[in-house]
Amino acid sequence: MRKALHWLAILMIISMGMFLFSCAEKPEELSKKVKELQVGFVYVSPIGDAGWSYAHDQGRRIIDAMDGVTTSFVEAVPEGPDSERVMLNMARKNYDLIFATSYGYMDPMLKVAKQFPKVVFMHCSGFKKAKNMGNYFGRMYQARYLSGMVAGAMTQTKTLGYVAAFPIPEVIRGINAFALGAQAVNPDVEVRVVWTKTWYDPPTEKEAAKSLLDVGADVITQHQDSPSAQEAAQERGVYSVGYNSDMSKFAPKAHLCAPIWNWGPFYKEILEQVRQGKWESKAHWPGLDGGIVDLSPISSMVPVAVQKRVLNKKDEIASGKTDVFVGPIKDQDGKLRIAKGKAATDQELLGMTYFVNGVIGTTQ
Amino acid sequence: MVGLRIKKRQEPLVWSSCLVLLGALALSLAVSAVLLAIQGKPPVKAIALLLEGAFGSLWAIEDCLIKAVPIFLCSLGVAVAFRLQIWNIGAEGQFALGAIGATWVALRFPDLPGFILLPGMLTMAFVAGGFWGLIPALLKLHMRANEIIVTLMFNYLAIFFLDFLVYGPWKDPVSFGFPMTREFSASAIVGKIGNTGLSWGILLCFFSGFAIWVFFRYTRLGYEIKASGENIRAARYAGLPYNRLVMLVMVLSGALAGWAGFLEASATINRLQPGIIVGYGYTAIVVAWLARLSPAYIGIASFLLAGLRVGLENLQLELQVPAAFGGIMEGLILLTVLAGSLFIDYRIELRKKS
Amino acid sequence: MKTDLLLSLLAAAVQSGTPILYATLGEIFTEKSGILNLGVEGIMIIGALAAFVTAKFTGSPILGFFIGGCAGALLAGVHGLVCLGFQGNQVVSGLALTILGVGLANYLGTPFIGQTAPGFTAVPVPVLSKIPVLGSVFFNHDLLVYFSYLVPPVMWLFFRYTRWGLGLRAVGEYPRAAAAGGLNVVSYRWAGVLAGGYLVGLGGAYLSLAYTHLWTNGLTAGRGWIAVALVIFAFWHPMRAIAGAYLFGGVMAFQLRLQATGTHIPSSLLLMLPYALTVIVLVLSSWKGLGSEAPAALGVNVEPAE
Repeated sequence: MRKALHWLAILMIISMGMFLFSCAEKPEELSKKVKELQVGFVYVSPIGDAGWSYAHDQGRRIIDAMDGVTTSFVEAVPEGPDSERVMLNMARKNYDLIFATSYGYMDPMLKVAKQFPKVVFMHCSGFKKAKNMGNYFGRMYQARYLSGMVAGAMTQTKTLGYVAAFPIPEVIRGINAFALGAQAVNPDVEVRVVWTKTWYDPPTEKEAAKSLLDVGADVITQHQDSPSAQEAAQERGVYSVGYNSDMSKFAPKAHLCAPIWNWGPFYKEILEQVRQGKWESKAHWPGLDGGIVDLSPISSMVPVAVQKRVLNKKDEIASGKTDVFVGPIKDQDGKLRIAKGKAATDQELLGMTYFVNGVIGTTQ
Repeated sequence: MVGLRIKKRQEPLVWSSCLVLLGALALSLAVSAVLLAIQGKPPVKAIALLLEGAFGSLWAIEDCLIKAVPIFLCSLGVAVAFRLQIWNIGAEGQFALGAIGATWVALRFPDLPGFILLPGMLTMAFVAGGFWGLIPALLKLHMRANEIIVTLMFNYLAIFFLDFLVYGPWKDPVSFGFPMTREFSASAIVGKIGNTGLSWGILLCFFSGFAIWVFFRYTRLGYEIKASGENIRAARYAGLPYNRLVMLVMVLSGALAGWAGFLEASATINRLQPGIIVGYGYTAIVVAWLARLSPAYIGIASFLLAGLRVGLENLQLELQVPAAFGGIMEGLILLTVLAGSLFIDYRIELRKKS
Repeated sequence: MKTDLLLSLLAAAVQSGTPILYATLGEIFTEKSGILNLGVEGIMIIGALAAFVTAKFTGSPILGFFIGGCAGALLAGVHGLVCLGFQGNQVVSGLALTILGVGLANYLGTPFIGQTAPGFTAVPVPVLSKIPVLGSVFFNHDLLVYFSYLVPPVMWLFFRYTRWGLGLRAVGEYPRAAAAGGLNVVSYRWAGVLAGGYLVGLGGAYLSLAYTHLWTNGLTAGRGWIAVALVIFAFWHPMRAIAGAYLFGGVMAFQLRLQATGTHIPSSLLLMLPYALTVIVLVLSSWKGLGSEAPAALGVNVEPAE
């Protein structure tokens, strides 16, 4: 009997608390519903890491500074049911526009989009759409290609090292583009890949970089969120290429350039579309042409002639004159994947799970 | 000179455990509030948002229930092992193995009707999770290997094995090379109840909870486990089959966590992917201990800790509190409850020192 | 070329094993006094954060190293309080400490993610680093590695020949007899917990000050747990801990180098190596060791006498 009484007491306390607090919040929420556009962001990793989520957050800050816009975000959201709940929460709070920045958010976002037809959903790096859901990505591989050109020009051992996180298509695509760029400048170059299976784990990334240095790589690049691979390169006195943002402040003597993201203008564009009621569900995949990807300023350590060549190539790609994945392209085993003169289709690019010739490593 | 002495109670106080829990929660909230203030977040508003996000609306409660299901099953399993003083830290890995086992069935036999397929997945999850719990038990019994470390290492092995499967042999051909299996066929998915997000898996929780309660209350094996847990040497002396009990609890423990994995893969995500691993196995330890290993209290504690996770997301959204805050609260709650257990198990008296 | 690769692997093993070595030694110290502290992972990462922040704001890596240890001791003190003061279950308390410590470090460290701090760099030892093989493997590292060479022998001497060391061991083996003999069990155990926590904190500090000069979430990545396992592998003997730590450092470095040479083994399987090896090593040690090296009263709270 005593036990039951105490259970009852606890339940009463809890429900009272719930009631009180839910009451307490309502008046505030009501006043919040002025005509501001509410935009929500869902990140797959913490933002402070100078990496993928950081780059998206920089974009968010740009639209946050605009008039009549409030933004919010939730970071380190695991893909799967947690992300669905987060997006549901945002939708229930009458957010107008929600960006989800990881592939694994695709199915959860679709589910939520179906329940909230008035909210606009934008999914990054996926392929599913709905009437109120579009997707977007950036052709980072174009910037990777350019960085590969720089690396290929600066290497003396003809071995480039790539510290990579997970064997997913966008990472593999980036590695391939890097290799192709390097080979365009220096045909016998090889790219060695080490998988860390983590987006941010400085000790492991550094150790991976050192492993590559030990097998003779003299330019290290990465698809990681921390700059520790850059550190490793500088400590050995060789070169490095950053990623996601300009990493030269971490390794001033090694850093040559970095392919970087620039989401701000794109987010602004989408926001304006939503604000003016002109938004439509589309698949957006701009590259250098849209300014969504770019190459950071090239270090003065790189000869001027090389810099010029790279910048020329950048203009060519941006204007559509040439592209990165144009055949003949063979894979690691010598099989022809893209025929001579043909350009790879978006489908082929999105599903790229093989390494091009000259890349040494496993795709698992 | 007056000093404090503590004396062990004959019978631990029952009603004070509620008070201790409330006191521990209050203390944890207070410390958390201070930490929030350090980072410049308004403490009172933050706690309010936390509670609102967790319990402040019908769908919040629903979210808590959904999240509580896997936590409950894992905690139940952990509690079973803890009763025998077997420190199973491997619920995370056993969860993964259960998910893997169920996925194997789902991928292999997608065309079977649901009433055959789902029990098959359930069984395989039981077997796989139980297996992953059994090996550490055997290593402990025959090689004296400390189960804390073995089960922990097995967590890592299980997670990397899952990775290997979804990046390699089980990778979905249509998902553009992303690490995930094919989506499960409709008959492999445990459905939702009506219009809610809650799946029928909650029935599994009730069933398991009730079964375990009956097991410990009314069966001889259950009694033997409890007795052995109290005093291993005495139990052995009395002829209780300690070794077999160890194997039994570890299989059960792993199997229950495996069922949690099955439900997450089938009902919640509808496929297997690395994101299925979110730390339920570690939260389960906190829950099991808070609930003093009893199934009924485990139900409540799972709900509360699910609420913590759900409320935390609200906190992140509104105040940009970092995601790591959840771990702080869980750790604080457990530590304060541990410390508070002193008052349940011991009596404090004033002694005059001469 | 092959020997170069091998030598650099061995050198990497030493460097990678050093944080694990500090942590293992710390846990050995604590366990010798009879207290099981499973919070090593949490303590390590707190030590890493404290060291990083200190070095960043004071510009002195050495001060950072010292403070990292202090932070470790402080957090270990919580475990001491719960177990020694409140008779809390040692296993669960340690686990709670890991959850708390990791959460606390990730939370408080959020503003510092991706930043650098001044740290330690390699300082070749004048004459010794020129010795053909041993030189590059052992004497071409940073100061903290060299310091870690001194701790095990000092600890061994402490336990073998000093009154306090023997007292600590007695408290861990036969607390009631020790108490009857006049030793203050609780004080010795507090010393064990705090000093052990200090060393574990140093291990964490190594990660953020020397191994890399960065801070990020989850910097320790399970190394604390490996240290707990290595204590058993080392049979609670400080000198043997060296072998264990370097072995593990080596395995972690090895699987990455294996990838760099272009193997086709899936990386997920390679990543299992350190953990699988931990299990194997633990099982073999426990089996052969007959369990007699463990402090007899390990993990059991001493109930107050009537």
